[in-house]
Amino acid sequence: MCDEAGESGEDIAVACFYFDSTAQMEQSAMSVLGALLKQVVGSFDQIPKEIADVFRRHKKLIGGRELQLPEIVKMLGSLSSMQRTYFCLDALDGCAAPDLAKILLSLRDIIKISPASRVFLTGRPYVGGEVGKYFPEETIFLSISPRNDDIVEFICARLAEDTTSGEMDEVLEAEIVKKILETVSEM
Amino acid sequence: MQNDQGIAVSSDRSEILAWLSPLEPHLRHHDIRTNRVQDVGDWLLRTEEFQSWKSGDGQGEPQKATMFCSGNLGVGKTYIR
Repeated sequence: MCDEAGESGEDIAVACFYFDSTAQMEQSAMSVLGALLKQVVGSFDQIPKEIADVFRRHKKLIGGRELQLPEIVKMLGSLSSMQRTYFCLDALDGCAAPDLAKILLSLRDIIKISPASRVFLTGRPYVGGEVGKYFPEETIFLSISPRNDDIVEFICARLAEDTTSGEMDEVLEAEIVKKILETVSEM
Repeated sequence: MQNDQGIAVSSDRSEILAWLSPLEPHLRHHDIRTNRVQDVGDWLLRTEEFQSWKSGDGQGEPQKATMFCSGNLGVGKTYIR
């Protein structure tokens, strides 16, 4: 998705985050939004002045104070107004519930400041309720399931990488594809 | 360090980016991109829903700025191009 958004030719920023349920310590709302801000800032040829100014102010303080969530949201809103920004967050179910609520609220605030920004989210179906709660009338919901031709294409690509010589032939390949498709249709 | 326009010069750049966040989400993105099979899942990008979400510019009539793709574990959500 990040690559698709990035290929349109217009001047845009794409910021992504992949949640991992085994790394929730690194996925506080502040770290996630901070990681998004880092990518948006990095998409500018030169660090925007407002970011550089805040950095210098913070650096002067003893210990170099960290950014707080409201500051991060404000900066993201402001930078997203300067160039169209796509935020892509994968596997929301891997994020702890309190953090997810803060993240969704923050994204909503960013869109309010910068209505041309776009947010792309994925997750298991049960997270849809949370998303709907924070973006009640602003969300397109789409259910994803693998299409048969996708499955065939995927298996063929993986089989083509098979390094065992002599074992694989067209008959076995067709048999593997057939069995997997049957199993998927029963799921 | 600042140049005449008061904009950070490149020597500050990496320091500022590291200060914003120690995380490197683009590394995971790179792994995913490497493992993706060409064209698989592209049907989604051709749907009317995706196209209207992608091209909305926040102007004029109310638009849906958010898209949520749901699916069970392993259906390929992460690998959407």
